[in-house]
Amino acid sequence: MFPIIDWSLISLEVLISIILVSLVVVDILLPKHAGKDWIGILSFVFLVSLIVFWLTQRDLNGLAFNGMFVMDSLAWFFKMLFLVTMVFVFAMAREFFKTLGERKSEFYLLLWLALLGMCLVASSADFLLMFIAIEILTISLYVMTAYLKSDKLSIEAGMKYLILGALASGFFLYGTSFLYGATHSTHFNVIQAFCQTHAMDPMTLFAMVLIFAAIGFKATAVPFHMWVADVYQGAPTPVTALLSVGSKAAGFIILIRLFFGVFGPWHVDWSLALAILSAVTMTLGNLVAMFQTNIKRMLGYSSIAHAGYLLMGAAAGSMLGASGINFYLLGYLFTNLAAFLVIIVFSIACKSDEIADYAGLVKRSSLLAFTMLLALVSLAGMPPLAGFFGKFTLLMAAIQSGYTWLALIAAVNIVISLYYYLMVAKRIYVDPPRVLTVIPVAANMQLLLAITIVGIIIVGIFQGPFLDAAMSAVKGMYLSRL
Amino acid sequence: MMSPNLSWIILLPLLGLGFVCLVPSDKPSLIRRISTVSVFLPFILSLWVYAAYDHVAGGFQFVQNIPWVVPLGISYHLGVDGINSLLLLLLGAASFSAVLISASIKERIKEYHLLLLTTVIGTYGAFLSLDIFFFYFFHEVAAVPVFLMIAIWGSERREFAAMKLTLFLTAGAALALVGLLALYLAAGLGTFDLVQLQAQLAEHPLPMEVQNWIFPLIVVGFGITLTLWPFYTWAPVGYAEAPTAISMLHAGVLKKMGAYAIIRFAIQLMPQAAHHWMPFIAVLAVVNIVYCGLVALTQRDLKYILGYSSCSHMGYILLGLACFNVIGLNGVVYLMFAHGIMAALAFALTGFVCDQTKTRNLDELGGLLKCMPFIGTCFMMAALASAGVPGFGNFVAEILVLLGSWDQYRWLTVLAVLGLVITAIYLMKAVRLGFQGPLDTRFAHLTDTPTLVEKFPYVLLLALLILVGCLPSVILMHIDSSTKTIVESIR
Repeated sequence: MFPIIDWSLISLEVLISIILVSLVVVDILLPKHAGKDWIGILSFVFLVSLIVFWLTQRDLNGLAFNGMFVMDSLAWFFKMLFLVTMVFVFAMAREFFKTLGERKSEFYLLLWLALLGMCLVASSADFLLMFIAIEILTISLYVMTAYLKSDKLSIEAGMKYLILGALASGFFLYGTSFLYGATHSTHFNVIQAFCQTHAMDPMTLFAMVLIFAAIGFKATAVPFHMWVADVYQGAPTPVTALLSVGSKAAGFIILIRLFFGVFGPWHVDWSLALAILSAVTMTLGNLVAMFQTNIKRMLGYSSIAHAGYLLMGAAAGSMLGASGINFYLLGYLFTNLAAFLVIIVFSIACKSDEIADYAGLVKRSSLLAFTMLLALVSLAGMPPLAGFFGKFTLLMAAIQSGYTWLALIAAVNIVISLYYYLMVAKRIYVDPPRVLTVIPVAANMQLLLAITIVGIIIVGIFQGPFLDAAMSAVKGMYLSRL
Repeated sequence: MMSPNLSWIILLPLLGLGFVCLVPSDKPSLIRRISTVSVFLPFILSLWVYAAYDHVAGGFQFVQNIPWVVPLGISYHLGVDGINSLLLLLLGAASFSAVLISASIKERIKEYHLLLLTTVIGTYGAFLSLDIFFFYFFHEVAAVPVFLMIAIWGSERREFAAMKLTLFLTAGAALALVGLLALYLAAGLGTFDLVQLQAQLAEHPLPMEVQNWIFPLIVVGFGITLTLWPFYTWAPVGYAEAPTAISMLHAGVLKKMGAYAIIRFAIQLMPQAAHHWMPFIAVLAVVNIVYCGLVALTQRDLKYILGYSSCSHMGYILLGLACFNVIGLNGVVYLMFAHGIMAALAFALTGFVCDQTKTRNLDELGGLLKCMPFIGTCFMMAALASAGVPGFGNFVAEILVLLGSWDQYRWLTVLAVLGLVITAIYLMKAVRLGFQGPLDTRFAHLTDTPTLVEKFPYVLLLALLILVGCLPSVILMHIDSSTKTIVESIR
């Protein structure tokens, strides 16, 4: 039998692969010391055109490759998130690696590979494809994390990420094999049908725990968060940004696909466990973040705390919970990218990521200071910024599903997190600067900072259209149990 | 007659904010002028709203309703009744004088006015919103600007004070948010619209066991904003260290958002639970009055005295809320207004004195009436007002509250009257130590506010205080039209 494949369903992945391969060719053909950063410029142009292309593809829907690959509204939404994230990450990389010379173009290729991996993750409807997709993403991240060859921290981060990542991959495969043993399939629809007719038994429970461990690694949930601080700190900052926005979103689309779809029929069995994990994750992340002196480490722990808030939506297991997760990730995208843009510009000028060095930033660059302030306040979940409405919907989802205690813990956490975010804001706005040199911000960075600022404010005030997008993503989800 | 458009009250200062953004920071006088205009215009609009409000018809008027987030039932719904039209007026007067007295700020003027305007916009929005989501949204907009303003322009312990105040208030707000969300979900209407919720819950009240745990969350959450004992500790230190304009706005207006929210969301939407819980709150209220009053007695720092005094007087508001009769609730709203004006005036005067003398310690001050007769006189009048001397608004308000509570809480009322005596003692002490007696030679060269323009904010606030003290009916008619319907619905 020769399967008929609707190629338009995988058009994005095909385009990305073509771009990737042709960029490799261009890279080889270009003279060694080409004056211009052609790969970077081409990548940027391609990405922007891909976003435009993707906007026209909103109605794509269907299965390909014998039901292994799914294109639905959820996949569309997340691929859009990934594409937008990548635009920023490419721009950050161009800025960050100005001094890196020829190895820069290879970095761009790795970024494209990671994008391919993320897009495949969003569309997997089969555990094997999902595994391959995760590996494509993670392996390119291993290399990128350790990209600063002469920096001890970067090597250490890459090593740590590799070892724990490999372990997580092992867990995933191990869990999948148990699941195959129970259900005789790796297809999502077959497994979901199995879940509908069978109760959870020790074997499937074991499989689920193993698979959750692997997702938890990606989504930075406790107790699989050990790598986060060191890797966030050591990795080149564009990679940290990608990890905290793109890779985390990839973790959460798997979570949505599995826990709102495939394992949906067993909702009552795992919901409480997720709620407890959510509470532990947000509390631990916030408590440890309070004591950090390095801004990337602090954002690492804060990113763990945000995974905790996001898990509230998963524990709720409702329509509102899933759309809350989507909306939150959207707001988180602009917010976190804004913070990392500031960190990159600052670290290039000042060669430091220490929070103490941010003292008096407002006197050195009011744009950087203001962007950082907005990002921090939005992370803390204060209106009228993007972070507020995400927390609002997730809290509502938790209470709606009967987890009022979880909502109260989250409320306490919001206060804790506000403390350390405001401490940084205080350093930037109140403390006297140690040096008075003005930090130059290049025009392209100014533009990106402005886009993130506008994004944070627009998403925060005109929540309606974005919530609609987040909700329709969930409504059209393949195998949805909502 | 043309009816006022409430959105402009929010949009005009927002526009002003935009203009201030565009002005380069080396033009301080232009910034100040824009800022003054952008709080003056909404003040005029609030006066218009107040005058145009038809208290015979009652209910919410000048309503604007735009659906905002349809799936969750959030709408941009503005409207005023007798209660919030008065609070708008309070905010208008307080913010206008706060910007006028901010001429003494010499550093980072642009940022100062940007943050101050944001605070004012947030507070206007909260008072105007008839949608629970937007109330909360606007209410929280003010939080971070206040933090930054205290931390940047405050006095010695500013960083500690800013952090303490912000964390306490955020904790309260977050608690209240959980309560409000639970209320929204329990009502099952799928709307945050206050008017619809009121109508629905009046017909079909929530089950008692649900009300009984949501109610304390909201009351304690917003109670923290209202310095409910024992959660008041952020206020004295916060007000003492904050720049004058923020002390004025916060003690005068922002903390009243807590009382406003308790009336609108807790008592009115969950009357059964209110009857169950408010007697306990009444006890705490009297602890507020007496305990904070006694603490104020021991203070030697002028701003701390005012801070504790402000916490103490919130007790009357809480006591009035526990009465469930028209007279008591009238007293609450009256006191929100009168105390707001009085607190703004007292903090403005204290701020002026401290700026001139560089000290807040009563042991170092003395005899200031000799060199600053105008400021000194105003301060004495503010102190008399606060102590409940007839002729000022506070007297009317406190009498109303005490009359309201007499039938239900006889002993508590007696203790509350004691609070008035305590207030009189510590404020007269402050007047005696600060403004009377021999003048220290260090302060001999100090002078009063030189120009009429600079006197204006104090005169404005004092005039309002005396006006509502002598002609209570000016605002009682408005208040009465709304409190009556509320009390009928919660009986």
